Amino acid sequence: MISIRKALFNVVLAILALVTVVPFVWMLISSLSPNSEIVKIGGSLFPTPSTFQNYVDVHQNFNMLQMFVNSLFISILTTVIVIYTSSLVGFVFAKFKFRGRGLLFGVVLSTMMLPWAVTIIPRYEMMVDFGWLDSYKALVIPSVISGFGIFMFRQSISQISDSLLEAARVDGASDFFIFHKIILPMSRNTIASLAIFQFLWSWEDFLWPFLMISSQDKQLISVGLRMFNGRHGTDFGGLFAATSISIIPVIIVYIIFQKQFIAGIASGSGK
Amino acid sequence: MQKIFNFKNVIILLLVIHFSIFLIYPIYKAFAGSLHDWNPLIGQYDFVGFENFKHVLTNNLFWSAIRNTFIFVFFSVLFRIGVGLGLAVMLHSKLAKFKGFFRAIFYMPTVTPLVAVSFVWVWLYDPQFGLINKFFGLDINWLRDSSWALPAIIMMTVWKDFGYAMVMFLGGLMALPEDVFEAANIDGANRWQCFWYMTWPLLKPTTLFVVITSLITYLQAYVQILIMTEGGPGTSTYVISYLIFEEAFVRYNFGLASAMAVILFVMIAVLTAALFKISGEGEMPL
Repeated sequence: MISIRKALFNVVLAILALVTVVPFVWMLISSLSPNSEIVKIGGSLFPTPSTFQNYVDVHQNFNMLQMFVNSLFISILTTVIVIYTSSLVGFVFAKFKFRGRGLLFGVVLSTMMLPWAVTIIPRYEMMVDFGWLDSYKALVIPSVISGFGIFMFRQSISQISDSLLEAARVDGASDFFIFHKIILPMSRNTIASLAIFQFLWSWEDFLWPFLMISSQDKQLISVGLRMFNGRHGTDFGGLFAATSISIIPVIIVYIIFQKQFIAGIASGSGK
Repeated sequence: MQKIFNFKNVIILLLVIHFSIFLIYPIYKAFAGSLHDWNPLIGQYDFVGFENFKHVLTNNLFWSAIRNTFIFVFFSVLFRIGVGLGLAVMLHSKLAKFKGFFRAIFYMPTVTPLVAVSFVWVWLYDPQFGLINKFFGLDINWLRDSSWALPAIIMMTVWKDFGYAMVMFLGGLMALPEDVFEAANIDGANRWQCFWYMTWPLLKPTTLFVVITSLITYLQAYVQILIMTEGGPGTSTYVISYLIFEEAFVRYNFGLASAMAVILFVMIAVLTAALFKISGEGEMPL
């Protein structure tokens, strides 16, 4: 009796899991099928995969791989910088006393609530004034400080005992040294979860690169996908391939790091 | 004597400089800009007082966008929490096997890029070759039918985001005190009573956290609209953030767009504050 219930229960879970991944599976299979097979009227649920041609075409007609590499570059660069600045600032908020600390941390927290719509128009104008349009400076420099990252690091660095830092100071270690040799190595989990978050956010960011970058060879993949859709709207095989190129790598990274990642989100909730 | 340019001060200084340039000034400029006739293409920036707000508040499209935004936010939050909580309870149950595997699968859509996922759903909804109509044998032109377009977008959003709520609720469930439930079991409480009178009230902080973060996210959502319907058919899927995007970067009415951004900002602040207040006062004694 118990075992039947258990089996049924897990079958239900499995069906729900299947529903969750079906869109990805369908996308991947379609990306490996010729156009005629995808749009065939009265065809089966899933097209029959038979070719890598879509991926070849997408690369040759549209330079999708270049955009993929651009996105990879920007996302990794931003992620590395954000981790470094967030841990530095988080360290200062967690372990130093100074006037206005509460107020400044309040400002950091409130950035997480601020709608993009408020700052994006003035920032756009600012980038025009700075002459940073169509340059990666515009993508990276405004986003090197992350309120979310600072918050995460402040929480985790607060847990490190003061006496450990005091002992290092007595031995003559500078703050700079303490940060690199004690704080950073002890923050490995926070680094891992922030890394994945920040990477995803940079990877999927659409509006900012859409506004900033105009040359196609510098464009990022989210914007590229929409451009591709606009120009080759009926080349469904190509569209599925282009979409797969932007989704599958993220899923692979996620599968590799998912344990740390999910632990990171649950702890980041600040419960 | 301490140096002025020590480690701490340099970092605070750099933080303050970055915030001033990329945060404080833009916020000031958005508020100031909302009071101006502001068009960057023709270099216009003329003070007009509250004209922009007047214009926005008497505009029909703005009000249908507000209506659609609230429908979108309400149902997306509701189903995100419903599905997330349901799955969290299932995965927390002793009956579930391969918990780690299922958790990883359910969380997967949450980590995938929204632009790409929106495209996949455009094709899932396609009336000719889309999987949804084919599988259920339906004949609905989801994204071109004004009564189905918004529900279709909500459905896609819930599929994309329920994993986050699920992970949050799982965390909440695992933090619950075991002994209380054992005591309740001994006292003869059935599973439903346990859930309704103990689990659910105890999960209140988690629920509040998920509601507030979802609210902030969904009030600002526009990517799925931009990719899937561009506000159409008619005005049936215009939401306020998409309207701001269009006003600012299609029509370059920066002044009007800033006025709407200010309104959105106030809406988010008021709703968040109200939620905190309600939940603080209505705390159930346990």
